[in-house]
Amino acid sequence: SPLKAQDVLNKTVNMSLGNTTLLDVLNYLQKNNDVKFIYSKNAIDVSKTVTVNFENQSLKTVLDQVFKNNGIDYEVLKDRIVLGKNAENTVTVNNDGTVTIATGTTSAKAVAGIPVTGKVVDETGLPIIGASVVEKGTTNGITTDINGAFKLNVSGPQAVLEVQYIGYTTKDVTVGAQTSITITLVEAVKGLNEVVVVGYGTQKKAVVTGAISHVAASDVQDQQVTRVDDALQGRTSGVNVVQSSGAPGSAPAIRIRGITSINNSDPLYVIDGVVVDNGGIDNINPNDVESIDVLKDASAAIYGSRASNGVVLITTKKGKKGSAKVSYNGYVGYQNPVSKPQLTDATQYATLRNEAAANDARNQGNTYVPVFANPSSFGVGTNWQNEIFTNALIQNHNLSISGATDDANYYTSFGYLDQDGIVDPSISNYKKFTFTANTSYKAKKWLTIGENITYTYTHSQSSLNTNSVFGGPLSSALNLDPITPVIQTNPAGSPNPSDYANQYAVRNAQGQLYGISPYVGQEITNPLAYLQTQLGNYNYATNLLGNAFVEITPIKGLKIRSQISAKQAYYGSDSFTPLYYLNSSTSNLSNTSQYLANNRNFTWNIDNTATYTRSFGKHNFTALIGQSAQEESGSTLGGTFIGEPVNTFSQASPNFSLPAANTIANGSDNQPYHLASTFARLQYDYDGKYLFSGVIRHDGSSKFGSDNIYGTFPSAEAGYVISKEDWFPKESFVDFLKIRGSYGIVGNEMALNPFEYTSTIGSGHNYVFGNGQVLNIGYSPNAPANPNLKWEETKTADIGFDAIVLHNLNVTFDIYQKLTQGMLEPVQLPSYAGFATAPFANIGNMENKGVELELNYNDRIGDFRYSVGGNISYNHNEVTSLGDQIQYQKTGSLQGDNSYEIGRVTPGQPYGEFYGFEELGVFHSQAEIDAYKNKSGALIQPNAKPGDFKWADINGDGKIDANDRTFLGNPLPTFTYGVNFNASYHQYDIKLFGQGVWGNKIFQAYRRLDIPTANYPIAALNAWTPSNANSNYPALTVTDPTGSGDFTNPSNFYLQNGAYFRIKTLQLGYTLPTAWLKAADIQKVRFFISSNNLLTITGYKGYDPEVGIGNNNQFGVDMGIYPQARTFMAGLDITL
Amino acid sequence: CKKSFLELQPKGEFLGSNFYANPSQALEGVVAAYDPLVTETGGIDNTYSDPLGALNAGSDDCVAGGGSSSDVNQWQVFNNYTLNPSVGPQDQFWAINFQGVNRADVLLQALPSVPGLSADLLKRYTGEALFLRAHYYFDLERLFKNVPLILTPLTTAQVYTVTQATPAAVYAQIEADLTTAVADLPPTVVAAEDGRVTQGAAKALLGKVYLYEQKWAQSAAILADVNGTTPGGTNSTYGYALLPNYGDIFDPKNKFNSESIFELVHSGTQNYTWSNWDQFKSNIYVQMVGPRSYGGPLYYSGGYGFNPVSTQLATAMKGDPRYPYTIANIDSLTKATNTTYSPSYQNTGYFIQKYAPLLKNVVTTGTIDLNWPNDYIEIRLADTYLMEAEALVNAGSNTARAQALLDAVRARVGLASVPVSLPNIYNERRLELATEGHRWFDLVRWGQAPTVLGFKGFTANKNEILPIPLNETTNGSKIKQNPGY
Repeated sequence: SPLKAQDVLNKTVNMSLGNTTLLDVLNYLQKNNDVKFIYSKNAIDVSKTVTVNFENQSLKTVLDQVFKNNGIDYEVLKDRIVLGKNAENTVTVNNDGTVTIATGTTSAKAVAGIPVTGKVVDETGLPIIGASVVEKGTTNGITTDINGAFKLNVSGPQAVLEVQYIGYTTKDVTVGAQTSITITLVEAVKGLNEVVVVGYGTQKKAVVTGAISHVAASDVQDQQVTRVDDALQGRTSGVNVVQSSGAPGSAPAIRIRGITSINNSDPLYVIDGVVVDNGGIDNINPNDVESIDVLKDASAAIYGSRASNGVVLITTKKGKKGSAKVSYNGYVGYQNPVSKPQLTDATQYATLRNEAAANDARNQGNTYVPVFANPSSFGVGTNWQNEIFTNALIQNHNLSISGATDDANYYTSFGYLDQDGIVDPSISNYKKFTFTANTSYKAKKWLTIGENITYTYTHSQSSLNTNSVFGGPLSSALNLDPITPVIQTNPAGSPNPSDYANQYAVRNAQGQLYGISPYVGQEITNPLAYLQTQLGNYNYATNLLGNAFVEITPIKGLKIRSQISAKQAYYGSDSFTPLYYLNSSTSNLSNTSQYLANNRNFTWNIDNTATYTRSFGKHNFTALIGQSAQEESGSTLGGTFIGEPVNTFSQASPNFSLPAANTIANGSDNQPYHLASTFARLQYDYDGKYLFSGVIRHDGSSKFGSDNIYGTFPSAEAGYVISKEDWFPKESFVDFLKIRGSYGIVGNEMALNPFEYTSTIGSGHNYVFGNGQVLNIGYSPNAPANPNLKWEETKTADIGFDAIVLHNLNVTFDIYQKLTQGMLEPVQLPSYAGFATAPFANIGNMENKGVELELNYNDRIGDFRYSVGGNISYNHNEVTSLGDQIQYQKTGSLQGDNSYEIGRVTPGQPYGEFYGFEELGVFHSQAEIDAYKNKSGALIQPNAKPGDFKWADINGDGKIDANDRTFLGNPLPTFTYGVNFNASYHQYDIKLFGQGVWGNKIFQAYRRLDIPTANYPIAALNAWTPSNANSNYPALTVTDPTGSGDFTNPSNFYLQNGAYFRIKTLQLGYTLPTAWLKAADIQKVRFFISSNNLLTITGYKGYDPEVGIGNNNQFGVDMGIYPQARTFMAGLDITL
Repeated sequence: CKKSFLELQPKGEFLGSNFYANPSQALEGVVAAYDPLVTETGGIDNTYSDPLGALNAGSDDCVAGGGSSSDVNQWQVFNNYTLNPSVGPQDQFWAINFQGVNRADVLLQALPSVPGLSADLLKRYTGEALFLRAHYYFDLERLFKNVPLILTPLTTAQVYTVTQATPAAVYAQIEADLTTAVADLPPTVVAAEDGRVTQGAAKALLGKVYLYEQKWAQSAAILADVNGTTPGGTNSTYGYALLPNYGDIFDPKNKFNSESIFELVHSGTQNYTWSNWDQFKSNIYVQMVGPRSYGGPLYYSGGYGFNPVSTQLATAMKGDPRYPYTIANIDSLTKATNTTYSPSYQNTGYFIQKYAPLLKNVVTTGTIDLNWPNDYIEIRLADTYLMEAEALVNAGSNTARAQALLDAVRARVGLASVPVSLPNIYNERRLELATEGHRWFDLVRWGQAPTVLGFKGFTANKNEILPIPLNETTNGSKIKQNPGY
C-alpha cells in the first residue's frame, strides 16, 4: 500500500556527504531510504554542490534544509516526492491565462503569447506526473501536475515544446495551431540502459564499443533448454551452435564467427568472472543464468591468450532488493523422434541383394545364383529403427529463493533434470541435480564480500556409440538387414544355427533368443541384444564451482576486487561387460569384466583487479588494472576386475575376491599447466558521444618454452554516437545511432598440449624378452622438439553500428575480419620420419570474414504487445596458408576401405572442405563407356561396365586415379540465422523461436561401406539395372568386380544439401490475473505448454540435419548421429 | 608471478635433454628399438596390422577371409591384387619399419655418450641397434625397393627434403650394418635375454640378405657358419639344431627352442583388454586365424576366420607328414564331432595350424582374444638350411653339402631324400615353411610370382613390390610412387 505523505517525511535519514552534488544526495536517498523523486532537469540544477550532514533526522528536515534552502520546493504525491522550484520561483498561472515565472529574486515577468494546454502521457496512456515542459530556447516552462496536465503560455505558433521525463525519450513538439496537445512520451529504449558484461567489469550498452551479443535470462528460460549453451543457438548473430547429438546431456559445438583455428575453436567460458574449462558450462543450471554476453571481436583481448575463439561470459542470478522471493518453475514433457531415414524392407532388401549378385555375376561372366530364392517370402521384415526409437519422458524442476536487504543479497536455487533418451532409454538417459548459492554482504560502506557456489551432480547412461559406424544401436539399426527377426523363435531353422548354438547368445527376459544376422556382421549387431550387454553402465560427475571475493572502495570511484575461485570435479564411470555373443565378430566369451573409474580435476584461479571511475565535466573515465593466475591439475584412476563370478551389472562388485592378476589398475596424471597474466583497460567517453576503449593483456603460459613464454595482446575500440550531436536531426526516424570500430590481437593457446616445445621421451615402447615372457619397458622420443613454438594470434577488426529507429526498432550491424596466424596444431609428419606422435607447430593462417545483422522490433496495438526479432550472420572461412612444406591436411575418413580422406584443409578453401571424386552420373550403356575417351582416343574407364559411375577426369590425364579428386562442397554453413516472435494479450502469451543454416553440405556416411550386404537406402530401389538403364544411381555390387569404387570412393554421390530451418520453440502461456492471486498473496502464476523442435524443414535425408563435428575435426559427416527429439511439455511458473 | 611458476617438469615422461643419462636408460632405448618388430597396431592409421596376415593373403598359401569381402581390407586387396596407393598393406609395413629405423637411429646417436656405459655394453647395444636397423631396412627394401635411407633422426626441418636412395645403396648399408653387428653381438644370450639378437641371428639375416641380392657364394659362406658343419647335427657353433618333432617348433611351450635363430617374442601374461589398444605384445594373429563360432574340440570358439588356408596348399601338402602341423581341417573336424562353426568369407574349411588358437593356450587372466602367447620365429634353422642349399646350387658349388642340407630338413619329418635341385628346394621351402610369411617373398625373388599368383591377379613388373602409401608421395614429400601404381 502506498505510504502516506506523513510516513515518508518521517523516515529517518543518516547521511554525511561532503562537497557533493544534489544529484548524489537524491541518489543516496533513493538508494538508502527507498524514496522516489520526480523532478525535471530543466527546473532543478542537480549539479549544484552541497554539503550535508544529518544524523537520525527526519526526511522532512533533510528536504527542508537541502532543497528549500536551495530554492527547491517539494510535494509528496502518493509514494513519490515531486521536486519543483520554490513557490516564489514557481510558475504561476494568472487569471488571464498568462504564466508568470519568478526566477530567484528576479521579479515575476509575464510572458506574452498564446496559451497552450496539454497532457503528457506514457505509451499506455497513463499520465506522467512531474514531466518538464519547456519552451525550447527559453526558461519558460512548467512541470506537469498529478493528472499529467500542464498549461503554458508560449511565444507563438512557432514555439517548440521540449518535454522531458527521466527514463523517457525527450520529445520536441511544435505548437502550431494546436491549443490543446496530448504528448506521448516513449520509454527510453531499454537496450541502451542494458548493462553488458565486458570481462572484469560492466558497461552500459549505449557506450559499448565492442561487438558484444547479449542474451537475457528470459530468452534462456522460455526455451526450456537443458544446457546453457543450447540457449545461444540462433539467439545472436555470429554464434553458430551445432548440437550434433540428441543424446541427453550432450554438449553442442559452439563456433563464434567461424572456425578460428584448425585445432581448437572452442570459445572461452567465464562464469561469474571465473574462467572454466570447456566442460564447465555443463554445471550451470540454465534457470540460474541472469545473462550471457558473448565477446566476439577485439573486446575479447581482455582475456588475452585464450580469447581468439571468442569469450562467453555467463552471469548468474543475484538477489534483488525486497523481501524473499520464492519461485518455482518446472515442466514435464515427452519427447519423440522426428524422422527416420527410409531404408528397404525385407522383401526389397532380398530383391536388391539378388540384384547385386546378378550385377556381379554379369560383370564377371559368372552364372548368376540368386542369394534369396523367394524375396517376397520375407514380407516387410524387421524395421530396426522402430525397435530402437521410443517416446521418452523429460522433467525439470527448479526452485529458487532470493532477495536482498541493504546489506545482504542472496540467491539460492535447486534444480533437477531427468531426461530419457529417445533411443533405448534404458541405456540412454541423463539426470542432473544442481544447487547454487550466491550471496554478498555489504559489511561496511566500503567493503563488500561475497561468494558464489554451484554444486552439480550428473548421472548419465550413454552406451550408444553415436555418430560412429562401428556399432551401437543407431549404426546397427541403419545397417542391419530387415530379414533378421528381433527374436529368433526357430534357431534350428535359421540360416545360421551355429550362432544360436553359442551358449552366450543373448536372450530376452522371457528366455527367447535375440535374432542374430547371418548377413550383416562385424560390429553391426541386434540393437536389442546389444542393449542387454550395456544395462546399468553409467557415468557420473560431481562438480563444485565456487568463488569468494572481497571488494573494497577505499576512496570514491575506486573499487579493488580480489577473487579466488576453484573448480573441483570428481567424475568417473562404472561399467560391466558380461559374457555375450552378439555375432561371430562381436562377442565376449572369455571373462566378465567390471571397470570402475574415479577421476578428479582441480583448477584454481586468483584474480585481483582495481577499477577507478571518475568524471571530469563531460569526460568519463574507467580504468582497470588486474592480475590473474591459474593452475590446472588432475588425475585419473581406474580398475578392471576380471572374472567376477556374476553376469549382470547389478550383481557386479569389486568386493569379489579375485586373483591379483585379474585386478588391473590404470591411472594417469594430467600434465601440469600454469598461466599468469597482467592486464589493463581504459574506457573513456566524452558526454557519451565520443567513446574509446583500450586493452592490453600480458600472458605467460607454461605451455611454451622459455623463449616464448610471454605474449602480449592489445586492442583498441572507438565509438561515435552521432545521434548525440546537436546537429543530428531530432525529428528524424533515427532515435539513436552509434558507429563503432575495433581492432586487436587476441591469442589462442588452448589448442596446445603441454611440453610440446621440447622433445619428450615417452614410455610404452615395450618388448618382451626371455622365456618368462617379461615385458621390458622401452623409452624413445615421442616427437621432434619445436623450441620455436609460439602463441597463435588472431588479428581481428570490426566495424559496426547500433541504431534505434522509429523508436521501436533496434538494429545492430557488424562487418568483421579475423586473421589467424601461426595456428597451433599437431603436424602429422610423413611416416618415413619414424615418429608415431605428431609434433605441434605454428602452421598456417586462416581468415574469417563476415557480416552480421540483428533486428528487434517491439510495439503494441492496444493491449496486444509484441516483439519480432531476427538475426542473420554470414561467415566466409578460408585457410590462407599451411606453411611452405605441405599443401593440405586431411580431415575425416571413411571406414577402413581406403586411405582417402573425406575433407581437406587447403589454402584457398574453407576449412575441411569435402574432397573426393566427382561422379558425372552413371554409364547407361557400353556405348557411353566407349565414348568416354581421353585426348589420345583411349578409354578413360576401360574396366567400367554399364551401371558404373562415370568419374570426372579432373586432371585430364586420361585415367581415373587418386589425382582426380577435387573439392566437392563446404561443410560449413555460410549463413546462420534465427527469428523470434513474442506476443502477449492480457493474460495470454506466445513465444515462437526458430533457427536455421544455409549454404553447407552434409556427407552421409552411415552406411557401412565395408559391409556390402548392409541394408540399403530406399533410393537404391532405383539403382541401375539393364532394365532400369536410365537410372543415375549406380548398379549395386558386393565385390565391385569392375573396381569402380562407386560406393567406396568419397564422392559427391554422398553429399546432400545441409540447409534447414527449425522451429526450436513454440510456447503458449497463461498468467492468472493478479486480482485472483492477491488474496493468496502470490505474485505470479503462469501455466505454459511448449514444444521444442516442433518442425524442421530440410531436404536432408538423414535423422537430423544438425550434424556437427565428428572424428578428426571434420564437420558435417553423418555417421549415424543421435537425432534431436521433438518435445512437448506442460509447465508451471510460480512466484510467491 | 615469477617466471618459475611457468617453468614446469612433465609427469610420466622425461625431457629429451635429460635422457640416455645412464646404462639402464640406454637399455630402455634398446628395448624401444625392438618394439616395432611386434607392434601389431602401429600402421599409419593405427589399425590392426600383422605382417603375416598380409603376406599370407598375398601368397598362394592362404586367402584373406574374415567377416566379409572387405573385412581388414588391406589383406583383401593383397589377396586379389586390387591394391593401389590408397588401399593395401603398405601402410602398416612402411610406417612400422620406419619407426624401427628411427628408434635405431636415435639409439646409435645417443649410445656413444651415455655416462657410465661399459665398453662391452656399448658394443652390444650398438650391435643390436645396427642389426635392428638392417632388419627394418631389409623389409622396406624387399617390399618397396625404392626407399629413403635415413641414418640419423630427422629434425622437422629435414623431413621434407628426404629423397629415395638406390636399392644398391640401401643394400650396401644393410650389409655394412649387419657386418658390424656380427662383430659386436654376443654369440649367445642367457635365458632371461632370449629374444635379443645374437651373432647367429645377425649372420643368418646377412646370409638371407646376400641370397636376395643373389650373392650366392657370400650367402652360402655365412649361412654355413650358422648351420654348422653337419647338417642335421647338434653341435653347430651357436648350438642350433633341428627339433626332432616338427610340431614342437610352434608350440608356445617351446619358445626359444634350438631351431629358433631369430624369434619375435610375444607374451600371454599381460592381461590385455580392449582398452590396451596399441600396447599389445601378445599375438593377435593367433586370434585372427581361428574359426568363427566354432563348437568343436581343441580350438578356441571365438576366432575371426582370417587367412583360411588355400585349397592349393592343402592339395600340395596332402600326404606330407607336416600337413597336420600346418593345416587344421576344421570342416572335417566339425563333421566328425557333429559340431558346427561359422564359415568366414572365402572359407575353404582349412585353417592355419601353426598359429592356431588352441584351447590349451587360452589364458586364464585377461581377455582371451588379446592374450595369445605364441611367438613368431622369423628365422629358423630349417629355413637357413634351405637358404644355404639354394645358394650353393645357384653358385654351382658343393652340391653334396646342399644335398645334405635338403636331406636333413626332409629326414626330420621322416621323408626320403630327393635329389637336390632348385625346383626341389623351392618345393621343400613351400611345404616346410608354409604360412610362415616367406612364400610371397620367395615367389617374387624366384620370378615365379606372375605364374604362380596369376590366378589371384598378380601383375608382372608391378606387384613384385608394394605401392608406397599414397600420402607419403604427396603433399610436400619428395618421395616418388613406385612404377605401375
